[in-house]
Amino acid sequence: MRLSLAAAIYHGRVHRRLGLGPRSRLDMLRNLVTALVRHERIEAPWARADEMRFYAERLIDYGKRGDADEQAMRMADFWLTEKDLIHKLFKLLAPRFQSYSGNYTRLLQIPNRENLDRAKMAVIEYKGNPFPPLIVVHRDNEKTLLNQLLKGYREDILKTRATQVPEEAPASLYTGTAV
Amino acid sequence: YFSSSALLRANSGEPPKFQPPPKPVIIDKSKVVVERRFLSPEFIPPRGRKDPLKYYIERIDMIRRRKVLNIPEFYVGSILSVTTADPYASDKTSRFVGICIQRGGKGLGATFVLRNVIEGQGVEFCYEIYNPRIQEIKVLKLEKRLDDNLMYLRDALTEYSTFDVNMKPVPYSPNDEIPVNQLKVKMKPKPWSKRWERPYFNIQGIHFELPEEIMEEAQKLSQPWIKFDMLREYNTSELEKKIWNEVNEKLKK
Repeated sequence: MRLSLAAAIYHGRVHRRLGLGPRSRLDMLRNLVTALVRHERIEAPWARADEMRFYAERLIDYGKRGDADEQAMRMADFWLTEKDLIHKLFKLLAPRFQSYSGNYTRLLQIPNRENLDRAKMAVIEYKGNPFPPLIVVHRDNEKTLLNQLLKGYREDILKTRATQVPEEAPASLYTGTAV
Repeated sequence: YFSSSALLRANSGEPPKFQPPPKPVIIDKSKVVVERRFLSPEFIPPRGRKDPLKYYIERIDMIRRRKVLNIPEFYVGSILSVTTADPYASDKTSRFVGICIQRGGKGLGATFVLRNVIEGQGVEFCYEIYNPRIQEIKVLKLEKRLDDNLMYLRDALTEYSTFDVNMKPVPYSPNDEIPVNQLKVKMKPKPWSKRWERPYFNIQGIHFELPEEIMEEAQKLSQPWIKFDMLREYNTSELEKKIWNEVNEKLKK
Protein backbone atom coordinates (compact mmCIF):
# COMPACT_ATOMS: atom_id res chain seq x y z
CA MET A 1 0.00 0.00 0.00
CA ARG A 2 1.65 3.24 -1.07
CA LEU A 3 0.77 6.53 0.49
CA SER A 4 2.10 8.70 -2.33
CA LEU A 5 0.09 8.16 -5.51
CA ALA A 6 0.72 9.75 -8.87
CA ALA A 7 -2.15 11.57 -10.51
CA ALA A 8 -2.61 8.83 -13.10
CA ILE A 9 -3.48 6.27 -10.40
CA TYR A 10 -7.07 6.48 -9.24
CA HIS A 11 -9.50 5.00 -6.72
CA GLY A 12 -6.84 3.41 -4.60
CA ARG A 13 -5.18 1.34 -7.31
CA VAL A 14 -1.50 0.79 -6.61
CA HIS A 15 -0.17 -0.43 -9.97
CA ARG A 16 1.13 2.17 -12.40
CA ARG A 17 0.52 1.44 -16.07
CA LEU A 18 3.92 1.08 -17.73
CA GLY A 19 4.89 -0.40 -21.07
CA LEU A 20 2.57 -2.39 -23.30
CA GLY A 21 0.54 -4.20 -20.65
CA PRO A 22 0.83 -6.03 -17.30
CA ARG A 23 3.35 -8.54 -18.64
CA SER A 24 5.43 -5.80 -20.25
CA ARG A 25 5.31 -3.75 -17.05
CA LEU A 26 6.57 -6.69 -15.00
CA ASP A 27 9.30 -7.45 -17.52
CA MET A 28 10.48 -3.84 -17.49
CA LEU A 29 10.54 -3.73 -13.70
CA ARG A 30 12.30 -7.07 -13.69
CA ASN A 31 15.09 -5.65 -15.87
CA LEU A 32 15.40 -2.64 -13.59
CA VAL A 33 15.55 -4.81 -10.47
CA THR A 34 18.23 -7.01 -12.05
CA ALA A 35 20.26 -3.91 -12.94
CA LEU A 36 19.86 -2.56 -9.41
CA VAL A 37 21.04 -5.81 -7.86
CA ARG A 38 24.01 -5.88 -10.23
CA HIS A 39 25.12 -2.24 -9.91
CA GLU A 40 23.49 -1.25 -6.59
CA ARG A 41 22.85 2.28 -7.86
CA ILE A 42 21.01 3.14 -11.08
CA GLU A 43 19.41 6.11 -12.77
CA ALA A 44 15.99 5.63 -14.24
CA PRO A 45 12.82 7.61 -14.95
CA TRP A 46 11.25 8.53 -11.62
CA ALA A 47 7.98 6.64 -12.17
CA ARG A 48 9.76 3.40 -13.04
CA ALA A 49 12.19 3.77 -10.13
CA ASP A 50 9.32 4.46 -7.73
CA GLU A 51 7.42 1.42 -9.00
CA MET A 52 10.55 -0.70 -8.84
CA ARG A 53 11.35 0.31 -5.26
CA PHE A 54 8.64 -1.86 -3.73
CA TYR A 55 9.71 -4.93 -5.69
CA ALA A 56 13.39 -4.40 -4.85
CA GLU A 57 12.61 -4.24 -1.14
CA ARG A 58 10.30 -7.24 -1.26
CA LEU A 59 13.01 -9.17 -3.08
CA ILE A 60 15.38 -8.51 -0.18
CA ASP A 61 12.72 -9.78 2.22
CA TYR A 62 12.53 -12.98 0.20
CA GLY A 63 16.32 -13.13 0.20
CA LYS A 64 16.32 -12.89 3.98
CA ARG A 65 14.22 -16.07 4.12
CA GLY A 66 17.26 -17.95 2.88
CA ASP A 67 17.93 -19.98 -0.24
CA ALA A 68 16.66 -23.17 1.37
CA ASP A 69 13.14 -21.77 1.02
CA GLU A 70 11.64 -22.98 -2.24
CA GLN A 71 9.29 -20.05 -2.68
CA ALA A 72 12.17 -17.59 -2.14
CA MET A 73 14.28 -19.39 -4.74
CA ARG A 74 11.46 -19.33 -7.30
CA MET A 75 10.90 -15.61 -6.76
CA ALA A 76 14.60 -14.84 -7.06
CA ASP A 77 14.77 -16.98 -10.18
CA PHE A 78 11.93 -15.03 -11.79
CA TRP A 79 13.01 -11.54 -10.76
CA LEU A 80 16.73 -11.82 -11.50
CA THR A 81 17.24 -12.54 -15.17
CA GLU A 82 21.03 -12.87 -14.73
CA LYS A 83 21.39 -16.00 -12.66
CA ASP A 84 24.73 -15.13 -11.01
CA LEU A 85 22.91 -12.38 -9.15
CA ILE A 86 20.79 -14.94 -7.27
CA HIS A 87 23.92 -15.96 -5.39
CA LYS A 88 24.72 -12.28 -4.76
CA LEU A 89 21.22 -11.67 -3.40
CA PHE A 90 21.24 -14.52 -0.92
CA LYS A 91 24.86 -14.35 0.16
CA LEU A 92 25.67 -10.62 0.05
CA LEU A 93 22.57 -8.43 0.11
CA ALA A 94 20.49 -10.46 2.57
CA PRO A 95 23.15 -10.50 5.36
CA ARG A 96 23.86 -6.81 4.75
CA PHE A 97 20.25 -5.89 5.49
CA GLN A 98 19.78 -8.25 8.42
CA SER A 99 19.67 -5.37 10.90
CA TYR A 100 17.20 -3.29 8.85
CA SER A 101 13.50 -4.16 9.02
CA GLY A 102 12.46 -2.21 5.92
CA ASN A 103 13.51 0.71 3.71
CA TYR A 104 16.48 -0.93 2.06
CA THR A 105 16.52 1.53 -0.82
CA ARG A 106 16.96 5.27 -1.25
CA LEU A 107 15.20 7.19 -4.02
CA LEU A 108 16.40 10.67 -4.90
CA GLN A 109 15.32 12.94 -7.72
CA ILE A 110 17.85 14.13 -10.32
CA PRO A 111 17.72 17.02 -12.80
CA ASN A 112 15.58 16.17 -15.81
CA ARG A 113 17.04 14.10 -18.63
CA GLU A 114 18.96 16.04 -21.29
CA ASN A 115 16.95 14.52 -24.15
CA LEU A 116 14.02 16.11 -25.94
CA ASP A 117 11.58 14.41 -23.53
CA ARG A 118 13.06 16.15 -20.40
CA ALA A 119 11.90 13.19 -18.35
CA LYS A 120 11.83 13.34 -14.56
CA MET A 121 14.74 11.15 -13.52
CA ALA A 122 15.66 9.56 -10.23
CA VAL A 123 18.56 7.61 -8.81
CA ILE A 124 17.73 4.55 -6.73
CA GLU A 125 20.31 2.72 -4.66
CA TYR A 126 20.55 0.01 -2.06
CA LYS A 127 21.77 1.39 1.28
CA GLY A 128 25.22 0.33 2.33
CA ASN A 129 26.56 0.30 -1.21
CA PRO A 130 30.32 0.78 -1.77
CA PHE A 131 30.01 4.02 -3.77
CA PRO A 132 30.56 7.48 -2.26
CA PRO A 133 27.36 8.85 -0.69
CA LEU A 134 24.86 10.67 -2.87
CA ILE A 135 24.02 13.34 -0.28
CA VAL A 136 27.26 15.00 0.83
CA VAL A 137 26.86 16.99 4.04
CA HIS A 138 28.80 20.25 3.64
CA ARG A 139 30.04 21.95 6.75
CA ASP A 140 30.33 25.72 6.59
CA ASN A 141 33.75 27.19 5.93
CA GLU A 142 35.64 27.61 9.24
CA LYS A 143 37.55 30.65 7.98
CA THR A 144 34.50 32.99 7.79
CA LEU A 145 34.43 35.85 10.33
CA LEU A 146 31.30 34.65 12.13
CA ASN A 147 32.63 31.09 12.48
CA GLN A 148 36.00 32.36 13.77
CA LEU A 149 34.24 34.52 16.40
CA LEU A 150 32.00 31.61 17.45
CA LYS A 151 35.06 29.34 17.70
CA GLY A 152 36.80 31.90 19.95
CA TYR A 153 33.66 32.22 22.12
CA ARG A 154 33.48 28.44 22.48
CA GLU A 155 37.13 28.27 23.57
CA ASP A 156 36.61 31.09 26.11
CA ILE A 157 33.70 29.29 27.74
CA LEU A 158 35.69 26.08 28.05
CA LYS A 159 38.58 28.02 29.68
CA THR A 160 36.32 29.69 32.24
CA ARG A 161 34.73 26.35 33.07
CA ALA A 162 38.17 24.83 33.56
CA THR A 163 39.22 27.66 35.96
CA GLN A 164 35.90 27.63 37.90
CA VAL A 165 35.79 23.87 38.49
CA PRO A 166 38.85 23.54 40.87
CA GLU A 167 37.34 26.34 43.13
CA GLU A 168 33.95 24.60 43.40
CA ALA A 169 35.31 21.04 43.57
CA PRO A 170 34.51 20.36 47.32
CA ALA A 171 30.94 21.71 46.95
CA SER A 172 29.89 20.40 43.50
CA LEU A 173 29.13 16.86 42.44
CA TYR A 174 31.12 17.26 39.25
CA THR A 175 34.02 14.82 39.39
CA GLY A 176 35.04 14.75 35.70
CA THR A 177 38.52 15.57 34.44
CA ALA A 178 39.34 19.20 33.65
CA VAL A 179 39.44 20.14 29.99
CA TYR B 1 -1.17 -60.69 17.27
CA PHE B 2 1.94 -60.31 19.33
CA SER B 3 1.98 -62.37 22.56
CA SER B 4 4.70 -61.76 25.09
CA SER B 5 4.31 -65.13 26.70
CA ALA B 6 5.32 -66.89 23.46
CA LEU B 7 8.66 -65.05 23.50
CA LEU B 8 9.31 -66.10 27.10
CA ARG B 9 8.73 -69.72 26.16
CA ALA B 10 11.15 -69.40 23.24
CA ASN B 11 13.95 -68.03 25.48
CA SER B 12 14.16 -70.99 27.91
CA GLY B 13 12.59 -74.42 28.39
CA GLU B 14 11.18 -73.45 31.81
CA PRO B 15 7.48 -72.69 32.21
CA PRO B 16 6.88 -68.97 31.47
CA LYS B 17 6.47 -66.56 34.35
CA PHE B 18 3.13 -64.89 34.39
CA GLN B 19 3.47 -61.33 33.22
CA PRO B 20 0.37 -59.23 33.45
CA PRO B 21 -0.53 -57.51 30.19
CA PRO B 22 0.41 -53.80 29.96
CA LYS B 23 -2.30 -51.52 31.23
CA PRO B 24 -4.11 -49.76 28.34
CA VAL B 25 -3.54 -46.02 28.31
CA ILE B 26 -6.89 -44.31 27.77
CA ILE B 27 -6.58 -40.93 26.09
CA ASP B 28 -10.01 -39.42 26.52
CA LYS B 29 -10.08 -37.16 23.49
CA SER B 30 -13.59 -35.91 24.18
CA LYS B 31 -12.28 -34.04 27.21
CA VAL B 32 -8.98 -32.79 25.77
CA VAL B 33 -10.14 -29.93 23.57
CA VAL B 34 -7.34 -28.89 21.24
CA GLU B 35 -7.94 -25.23 20.66
CA ARG B 36 -8.20 -24.86 16.90
CA ARG B 37 -7.46 -21.34 15.87
CA PHE B 38 -10.24 -20.44 13.52
CA LEU B 39 -10.72 -16.75 12.92
CA SER B 40 -13.83 -16.00 10.88
CA PRO B 41 -12.74 -14.30 7.64
CA GLU B 42 -14.93 -11.23 8.23
CA PHE B 43 -12.67 -10.18 11.13
CA ILE B 44 -9.64 -9.73 8.89
CA PRO B 45 -9.67 -6.16 7.52
CA PRO B 46 -9.09 -5.87 3.77
CA ARG B 47 -6.16 -4.08 2.18
CA GLY B 48 -6.73 -0.40 1.88
CA ARG B 49 -6.17 3.05 3.26
CA LYS B 50 -9.10 3.07 5.67
CA ASP B 51 -8.54 3.98 9.29
CA PRO B 52 -8.18 0.77 11.34
CA LEU B 53 -10.38 2.44 13.96
CA LYS B 54 -13.40 1.69 11.80
CA TYR B 55 -12.59 -2.03 11.83
CA TYR B 56 -11.88 -1.95 15.56
CA ILE B 57 -15.30 -0.45 16.29
CA GLU B 58 -16.95 -2.99 14.00
CA ARG B 59 -15.13 -5.81 15.78
CA ILE B 60 -16.47 -4.65 19.15
CA ASP B 61 -20.00 -4.79 17.78
CA MET B 62 -19.38 -8.16 16.15
CA ILE B 63 -18.15 -9.61 19.44
CA ARG B 64 -21.23 -8.21 21.25
CA ARG B 65 -23.48 -10.01 18.79
CA ARG B 66 -21.47 -13.20 19.06
CA LYS B 67 -21.98 -13.26 22.81
CA VAL B 68 -25.73 -13.39 22.24
CA LEU B 69 -25.88 -15.71 19.22
CA ASN B 70 -23.47 -18.58 18.74
CA ILE B 71 -22.07 -18.26 15.22
CA PRO B 72 -20.31 -21.54 14.54
CA GLU B 73 -17.26 -22.14 12.46
CA PHE B 74 -18.17 -22.97 8.88
CA TYR B 75 -16.60 -22.88 5.45
CA VAL B 76 -17.73 -22.64 1.88
CA GLY B 77 -19.14 -26.07 1.09
CA SER B 78 -20.62 -26.84 4.49
CA ILE B 79 -24.33 -27.39 4.89
CA LEU B 80 -26.05 -25.00 7.28
CA SER B 81 -29.55 -24.45 8.57
CA VAL B 82 -30.57 -20.91 9.46
CA THR B 83 -33.73 -19.86 11.32
CA THR B 84 -34.73 -16.22 11.00
CA ALA B 85 -37.56 -14.21 12.51
CA ASP B 86 -40.45 -13.83 10.08
CA PRO B 87 -43.45 -11.70 11.19
CA TYR B 88 -45.78 -13.24 8.60
CA ALA B 89 -45.16 -16.91 9.36
CA SER B 90 -47.48 -18.83 11.68
CA ASP B 91 -44.76 -19.61 14.23
CA LYS B 92 -42.91 -16.35 13.51
CA THR B 93 -39.74 -18.22 12.31
CA SER B 94 -38.59 -19.41 8.93
CA ARG B 95 -35.95 -22.08 8.46
CA PHE B 96 -33.73 -22.59 5.43
CA VAL B 97 -31.18 -25.35 4.83
CA GLY B 98 -28.54 -25.10 2.15
CA ILE B 99 -24.93 -25.40 1.15
CA CYS B 100 -22.79 -22.31 1.68
CA ILE B 101 -21.52 -21.25 -1.74
CA GLN B 102 -19.93 -17.92 -0.90
CA ARG B 103 -18.75 -15.93 2.10
CA GLY B 104 -18.44 -12.26 1.31
CA GLY B 105 -17.98 -8.92 2.97
CA LYS B 106 -15.89 -7.82 5.92
CA GLY B 107 -16.92 -6.48 9.29
CA LEU B 108 -20.58 -6.21 10.28
CA GLY B 109 -21.82 -6.53 6.71
CA ALA B 110 -20.38 -10.01 6.24
CA THR B 111 -22.73 -12.33 4.35
CA PHE B 112 -22.97 -15.92 3.32
CA VAL B 113 -25.05 -17.37 0.52
CA LEU B 114 -26.90 -20.67 1.02
CA ARG B 115 -28.15 -22.65 -1.95
CA ASN B 116 -30.67 -25.46 -2.15
CA VAL B 117 -33.02 -26.92 -4.74
CA ILE B 118 -36.58 -27.10 -3.39
CA GLU B 119 -39.23 -28.89 -5.49
CA GLY B 120 -37.07 -28.55 -8.60
CA GLN B 121 -36.51 -24.81 -8.14
CA GLY B 122 -33.03 -23.61 -7.20
CA VAL B 123 -33.15 -21.15 -4.31
CA GLU B 124 -30.33 -19.03 -2.97
CA PHE B 125 -30.48 -17.01 0.22
CA CYS B 126 -27.93 -14.36 1.12
CA TYR B 127 -27.87 -13.98 4.91
CA GLU B 128 -26.02 -11.30 6.81
CA ILE B 129 -24.18 -13.02 9.65
CA TYR B 130 -24.77 -10.19 12.14
CA ASN B 131 -28.38 -9.52 11.24
CA PRO B 132 -30.39 -9.41 14.48
CA ARG B 133 -33.29 -11.23 12.79
CA ILE B 134 -31.25 -14.42 12.64
CA GLN B 135 -32.18 -16.62 15.58
CA GLU B 136 -30.04 -19.70 15.03
CA ILE B 137 -27.25 -20.85 12.73
CA LYS B 138 -26.56 -24.56 12.88
CA VAL B 139 -23.93 -26.48 10.98
CA LEU B 140 -25.42 -29.74 9.74
CA LYS B 141 -22.30 -30.90 7.93
CA LEU B 142 -18.92 -29.22 8.31
CA GLU B 143 -16.66 -29.69 5.33
CA LYS B 144 -14.58 -27.79 2.85
CA ARG B 145 -14.55 -28.03 -0.92
CA LEU B 146 -11.82 -27.60 -3.48
CA ASP B 147 -12.79 -23.95 -4.15
CA ASP B 148 -13.56 -20.83 -2.13
CA ASN B 149 -16.52 -19.94 -4.29
CA LEU B 150 -19.10 -22.46 -5.43
CA MET B 151 -21.10 -20.16 -7.70
CA TYR B 152 -20.65 -22.73 -10.48
CA LEU B 153 -23.24 -24.92 -8.76
CA ARG B 154 -25.81 -22.77 -10.56
CA ASP B 155 -24.63 -24.30 -13.84
CA ALA B 156 -24.08 -27.76 -12.43
CA LEU B 157 -26.64 -30.54 -12.46
CA THR B 158 -29.32 -30.04 -9.82
CA GLU B 159 -28.41 -33.20 -7.93
CA TYR B 160 -25.27 -31.45 -6.64
CA SER B 161 -27.27 -28.64 -5.03
CA THR B 162 -30.15 -30.63 -3.50
CA PHE B 163 -29.95 -31.22 0.21
CA ASP B 164 -32.60 -32.73 2.42
CA VAL B 165 -34.30 -30.04 4.49
CA ASN B 166 -34.74 -32.42 7.42
CA MET B 167 -31.28 -33.92 7.33
CA LYS B 168 -29.72 -34.90 10.65
CA PRO B 169 -26.61 -33.02 11.72
CA VAL B 170 -23.45 -35.03 11.09
CA PRO B 171 -21.51 -35.36 14.38
CA TYR B 172 -18.14 -33.69 14.39
CA SER B 173 -15.45 -33.49 17.06
CA PRO B 174 -13.36 -30.33 17.37
CA ASN B 175 -10.10 -32.29 17.38
CA ASP B 176 -10.42 -33.64 13.84
CA GLU B 177 -9.24 -31.74 10.84
CA ILE B 178 -11.91 -30.39 8.57
CA PRO B 179 -12.58 -32.91 5.78
CA VAL B 180 -12.03 -31.61 2.25
CA ASN B 181 -14.59 -32.97 -0.17
CA GLN B 182 -12.76 -33.77 -3.41
CA LEU B 183 -16.00 -33.93 -5.36
CA LYS B 184 -15.76 -32.86 -9.01
CA VAL B 185 -19.08 -31.58 -10.18
CA LYS B 186 -20.64 -32.36 -13.60
CA MET B 187 -22.07 -29.40 -15.44
CA LYS B 188 -25.16 -28.78 -17.53
CA PRO B 189 -24.47 -28.14 -21.23
CA LYS B 190 -23.12 -24.73 -22.12
CA PRO B 191 -23.94 -21.75 -22.11
CA TRP B 192 -23.10 -21.13 -18.46
CA SER B 193 -23.56 -17.96 -16.45
CA LYS B 194 -19.77 -17.48 -16.38
CA ARG B 195 -17.01 -19.14 -18.40
CA TRP B 196 -15.87 -21.34 -15.54
CA GLU B 197 -13.17 -23.04 -17.62
CA ARG B 198 -11.13 -19.81 -17.75
CA PRO B 199 -8.06 -19.69 -15.47
CA TYR B 200 -9.22 -16.39 -13.91
CA PHE B 201 -11.71 -18.29 -11.76
CA ASN B 202 -9.17 -20.98 -10.90
CA ILE B 203 -11.81 -23.62 -10.26
CA GLN B 204 -10.63 -27.06 -9.22
CA GLY B 205 -13.99 -28.61 -8.44
CA ILE B 206 -15.52 -29.03 -11.93
CA HIS B 207 -15.25 -32.15 -14.06
CA PHE B 208 -14.81 -30.50 -17.45
CA GLU B 209 -16.00 -32.52 -20.41
CA LEU B 210 -15.43 -29.77 -22.94
CA PRO B 211 -13.55 -30.31 -26.22
CA GLU B 212 -9.84 -29.68 -26.08
CA GLU B 213 -9.88 -26.62 -28.34
CA ILE B 214 -12.02 -24.72 -25.84
CA MET B 215 -9.73 -25.71 -22.97
CA GLU B 216 -6.66 -24.56 -24.91
CA GLU B 217 -8.32 -21.26 -25.82
CA ALA B 218 -9.07 -20.76 -22.15
CA GLN B 219 -5.47 -21.50 -21.16
CA LYS B 220 -4.26 -18.76 -23.54
CA LEU B 221 -5.87 -16.25 -21.18
CA SER B 222 -3.91 -17.47 -18.20
CA GLN B 223 -1.51 -14.96 -16.67
CA PRO B 224 1.35 -17.00 -15.18
CA TRP B 225 3.21 -13.87 -14.08
CA ILE B 226 0.58 -12.95 -11.50
CA LYS B 227 1.95 -15.35 -8.90
CA PHE B 228 5.31 -13.56 -9.08
CA ASP B 229 3.78 -10.11 -8.66
CA MET B 230 4.75 -9.27 -5.09
CA LEU B 231 2.52 -6.20 -4.98
CA ARG B 232 -0.57 -8.43 -4.99
CA GLU B 233 0.48 -10.38 -1.94
CA TYR B 234 -1.43 -9.58 1.23
CA ASN B 235 0.18 -11.27 4.20
CA THR B 236 -2.39 -11.44 6.98
CA SER B 237 -0.62 -13.80 9.40
CA GLU B 238 0.50 -11.14 11.91
CA LEU B 239 -2.77 -9.25 11.66
CA GLU B 240 -4.65 -12.50 12.22
CA LYS B 241 -2.66 -13.30 15.35
CA LYS B 242 -3.31 -9.88 16.89
CA ILE B 243 -7.01 -9.95 16.03
CA TRP B 244 -7.33 -13.54 17.27
CA ASN B 245 -5.86 -12.61 20.67
CA GLU B 246 -8.04 -9.53 20.89
CA VAL B 247 -11.24 -11.37 19.93
CA ASN B 248 -10.56 -14.30 22.24
CA GLU B 249 -9.93 -12.10 25.25
CA LYS B 250 -13.16 -10.21 24.73
CA LEU B 251 -15.24 -13.32 24.06
CA LYS B 252 -14.07 -14.98 27.24
CA LYS B 253 -15.25 -12.09 29.42
